[in-house]
Amino acid sequence: MNKLAKKYLRPSQIPTKACHGCGIGMIENWLLQAIDELGLKQEDVIFGTGIGCVGRQTFATWGGDNFGATHGRALAIATGLKLAQPDKKYLIVVGDGDAASIGTSHLIHAARRNLGVTVICEDNMGYESTGGQFSPTTPAGYVTNSSPYGMVEPPFDPCDVVKAAGATFVAETTATQWHQTVKIVKKALANDGFSFIHVRFPCNENFGAYALGTRDTLKNLEWIYEHTQGRKTDGSESDFVWETGIKHDASNSRPEFSRIMRDMNARVQADLAQKAAKKAAT
Amino acid sequence: MIEHKETLVAPWQEWARRSIKGRRLLEAGTYALTEGAIAAGCRVFAGYPITPATDIAEYMSKRLPQVGGYYMQCEDELAGMHACAGASLGGLKAMTATSGPGYTLMHDAYGWSITNEIPLVVVDAMRVGPISGITGAPGQGEFYIARYASHGGNFETIVLSPSSVQEAFWLTIDAFNLAERFRTPVTILTDQVISDMWEDLFIPDDYDGLDFVIPRKHNLMMPFYPVGSADLDVPPNVIGHGTGVCVSAYTHTEEGYDIEEMEAQWAQTFRLVNKIRHHRAELTRYETLGLDDADVIAVAYGANARTVKTGVLQARRRGVRAGFVRLITLWPFLDELFERDARYVVCELNYDGQLVREVMRAAPDKRKVHFMGKSAELHTVAEVVAGLDGVARSGKIPELPYIWTEVR
Repeated sequence: MNKLAKKYLRPSQIPTKACHGCGIGMIENWLLQAIDELGLKQEDVIFGTGIGCVGRQTFATWGGDNFGATHGRALAIATGLKLAQPDKKYLIVVGDGDAASIGTSHLIHAARRNLGVTVICEDNMGYESTGGQFSPTTPAGYVTNSSPYGMVEPPFDPCDVVKAAGATFVAETTATQWHQTVKIVKKALANDGFSFIHVRFPCNENFGAYALGTRDTLKNLEWIYEHTQGRKTDGSESDFVWETGIKHDASNSRPEFSRIMRDMNARVQADLAQKAAKKAAT
Repeated sequence: MIEHKETLVAPWQEWARRSIKGRRLLEAGTYALTEGAIAAGCRVFAGYPITPATDIAEYMSKRLPQVGGYYMQCEDELAGMHACAGASLGGLKAMTATSGPGYTLMHDAYGWSITNEIPLVVVDAMRVGPISGITGAPGQGEFYIARYASHGGNFETIVLSPSSVQEAFWLTIDAFNLAERFRTPVTILTDQVISDMWEDLFIPDDYDGLDFVIPRKHNLMMPFYPVGSADLDVPPNVIGHGTGVCVSAYTHTEEGYDIEEMEAQWAQTFRLVNKIRHHRAELTRYETLGLDDADVIAVAYGANARTVKTGVLQARRRGVRAGFVRLITLWPFLDELFERDARYVVCELNYDGQLVREVMRAAPDKRKVHFMGKSAELHTVAEVVAGLDGVARSGKIPELPYIWTEVR
């Protein structure tokens, strides 16, 4: 076990049940690195997940307090939790199904409210734990087990969605960008507001096998790398490119949701006290 | 003057006897539900506007900031109840309120709260269905849905129903207490009439001095889930105190780790079912009248029980030996109230027959259980009297317009 896992995770819960070559563990290790470099302790961070590959493989690995939400609702739960525990850092680690499909309304409204959480959307471009169906982030044309003739629906970019909704920090990386991801997660956690990081990673067993035709981890990572660079290893252009990096940084530019609520309460209570004092005086 | 014995079994009979300083108001049921929640220590309300529960949200939006609480208007009912569950996990008592269409959307969060043993109160102000139906009229269509407020089985639920504005106030405090003691969501199944109705209401001046309110405690150590145990009064789990608690949608171990084993499922189910079944005595609330000599017993709950009770008293005045059962606890179902070998007339606000099926199951002879279903309006006193009179004379409910008597 590496040092970071020993420091932050639960030895009894790792390794997880993730498939061989899955990127989820690797990305979690990068999150730990960012947490460690910020000097955060187990009790400073509440770790929330959802359902599916990312939910199941990361739930209860974190050594501090954990919650695994119903499908799509991690942010709805976090919204209530943040009111009760405003001083904690929240790491909401969910998949593309949770963030970009079943729970998109909560994602949008958490961004609108500037809820003080950091969402890591670990995107394996489909519903892989149910056997590899396409999701709203599966690239157009790719074959999955529910798009045998190619994905005919256009995908969308969740970064655009949260940015439009008012997120104060938005970034995209891939599983081939270790140092960049760590730097970005550190910036996201420093934002007292809604931070969203979209991280693409390869699934070997389903997306790799059916969309890319290989279960080879390195080949699947190479595919991710090519689409991060926009250029294949043979020098030709890839069929599309993901623009990675920080897409929007308005960190700490507007008040965080639970702060807004507490400020309103202070105002209401001050008004009440003033009225009571006036009444007592007359 | 006809003599009758009236029994009301509910904890607030004892609370109300105390000399609590307070004031009398003319107020709505929604107001009583709101103030009852705040008196019980509720500090978070998260919900979505829906007729006829919207007034609770509006009252809460005004009252909660005054007492240091938080009102959240969510993007939908799914978010509303999940946010309540999150707030309760963070250590604040929470409530949401809705009507049928929203209540069904909450079942996702309801199941999550049941399995994770999160104390919460959910108000469902029933209207007429299915779906939007008639929004401004009373219905009683969620009797079974409230029992099965999540998919998957392997759980019991607690459901209470008030029949007056005053009772709504006490019952809300009671619901919060039960939620804390049993570590589970509690549904207050009320209806459009009780919610919107204005009535005489006594509320205490000082909520801090109410010693019958059970304060929130925190479970700071393992086991987080006493699987295999039916113990009551286990403090709820809390996120944010560094206990390392795990809360999830999965079948869990006592640490909260997900597990896919038959033995673990048995132990979790034992806990979720038997913490309620083994403490049924703590959950028994009802009102009865004239059961010791009754030949025919009218059964009802909620707003409908008010006209039914008047009908029973009128029928007795006419010489019918009529009795009355008003359920306050709907679930777990109070089978013991139906042991008398009499005829039962079940009056409820739906045509399909829900409560009547439980009474048929619990009564000694289901052929002696009669149904008077109606929808969108309370039963009139005349209808109740005609029904009781008909059953007493000929064992049959006479034909009445807009009254449904077929169950099967």
